[in-house]
Amino acid sequence: MQSSNYFSEVRHKRYAEVSVKKFLIIWLLIITLLSGCSTQASYSGVHEEPVSETVFAMDTVMQLTAYGAEAVVMDEAKKRILELEGLLSTTNTDSEVYGINQKKSGRVSPDTASLIQAGIKYGDITNGLLDVTVYPLVREWGFTTNNYRVPDKDSISRLLKNIDYKKIRFNKAEASVSLPDGMMMDFGSLAKGYAGDAVLKIFSDAGIKSAMVNLGGNVQTLGKKPDGSCWRVGIKNPEGENYIGTVLIDGRTVITSGGYERYFKDDNGKVYWHIFDPVTGYPAKAGLISVSVVTDTGIYGEALSTSLFIMGIKEASEFWRKHRDFEAVFISEKGSVYVTEGLRDNFSFSEDYSGHTLTVIEQ
Amino acid sequence: MKRTKLWSLIFFMILFGSAIALLKPVKSSGTTAKIYRDGVCVYSVELSGVKAPYTLRFKGENGYNTVLVENGRICVCEADCPDKICVHQGWISESGAPVVCLPNKLVIKIEKGAAQDIDGVSQ
Repeated sequence: MQSSNYFSEVRHKRYAEVSVKKFLIIWLLIITLLSGCSTQASYSGVHEEPVSETVFAMDTVMQLTAYGAEAVVMDEAKKRILELEGLLSTTNTDSEVYGINQKKSGRVSPDTASLIQAGIKYGDITNGLLDVTVYPLVREWGFTTNNYRVPDKDSISRLLKNIDYKKIRFNKAEASVSLPDGMMMDFGSLAKGYAGDAVLKIFSDAGIKSAMVNLGGNVQTLGKKPDGSCWRVGIKNPEGENYIGTVLIDGRTVITSGGYERYFKDDNGKVYWHIFDPVTGYPAKAGLISVSVVTDTGIYGEALSTSLFIMGIKEASEFWRKHRDFEAVFISEKGSVYVTEGLRDNFSFSEDYSGHTLTVIEQ
Repeated sequence: MKRTKLWSLIFFMILFGSAIALLKPVKSSGTTAKIYRDGVCVYSVELSGVKAPYTLRFKGENGYNTVLVENGRICVCEADCPDKICVHQGWISESGAPVVCLPNKLVIKIEKGAAQDIDGVSQ
């Protein structure tokens, strides 16, 4: 029955053809599903793309990261940092601050005026522990040239006479300032915070919703991370390589003052660090090795981290209870860790420190 | 099509399909890629947590490098340095040899076992 065989062959062939096509289509679908979207070049929206820039300025390295930024915004941020450095540098002979320190008077541009006013304001708030005229003392100890030495008591007494921010005469209307002889201004304790605030303003003016800048260890953020979570910021371990714990922040800053950052040892092995008590003229030794402050602005964080370090845990706790517009993590020289109430549920120890005791400073 | 040919075809498609599925990057947890510029770590990312690929542009002394970050792996996808050795190195996903662009002083390293994804350290 040749004809029926022929028909069955034809039917069989067509059936095979059809099913191969179907199979190929199904196979392609399965492969696509298995591979997921990542093999296709469909990246998430441009608005999530981070842009990074590294700037070497103010005697440190700064990393700027912004999400959804155009390169031109990053350039603007970098320019602004260098502009501020040009105005505020104490050692650069072309800077405005250098000129004022030489002539002891002069007119100042808006940024320098802001720093002067901030210096006076925070000097008042911290009862003089943050003092922008402390430079000659720091210089005498060798921290500006790395020729470290312990000055004799007479030199220190002499220098202390010219350390008093209250003697800065600032005329707001004329934007002019004058200093008594022997006095010098230095904004090293505030400039990075001011710069960080300025950079984040550039970012937010450009419509950026998510950014983080790390200016030599000062971490300042804008908004939350693109995925809506908070930024995780580690608190450096004063003793070693890693961090002792983390804080979660959105739009706030974490600025740390640590004795471990810059110090020298004398022949007996005694440690002298760069955070000075402007009242005694000696490195501040109130029992703390590190203070990390969480604030809304960089400049306030800078002012507080230095002064709380000088205060020590008791006085710093009282200061916090009085003001309550910041939070802080304190590490004592003995290794005890304290946080203010607002960080009770926020701060967490890293794995290596998981058994550590946390003392909460309450209202 | 003959039956045996059809089955061979099916067999090879399954084989090929499995190969593609297996070549997908392994989701290893705790794999942190760090990018260094001039010896300083400027960016850090937990590769297993990357949801969608994205690029990072780094400007160096002698030009730029565009780094492509995907789930579980990272590479330099574009650069304007003369040799483009960094681009030819391709993807890295395990700790081992880093991707290096010497003219731009860019280094990408993978470090295993970072406990948490930290965005920055305050010091």
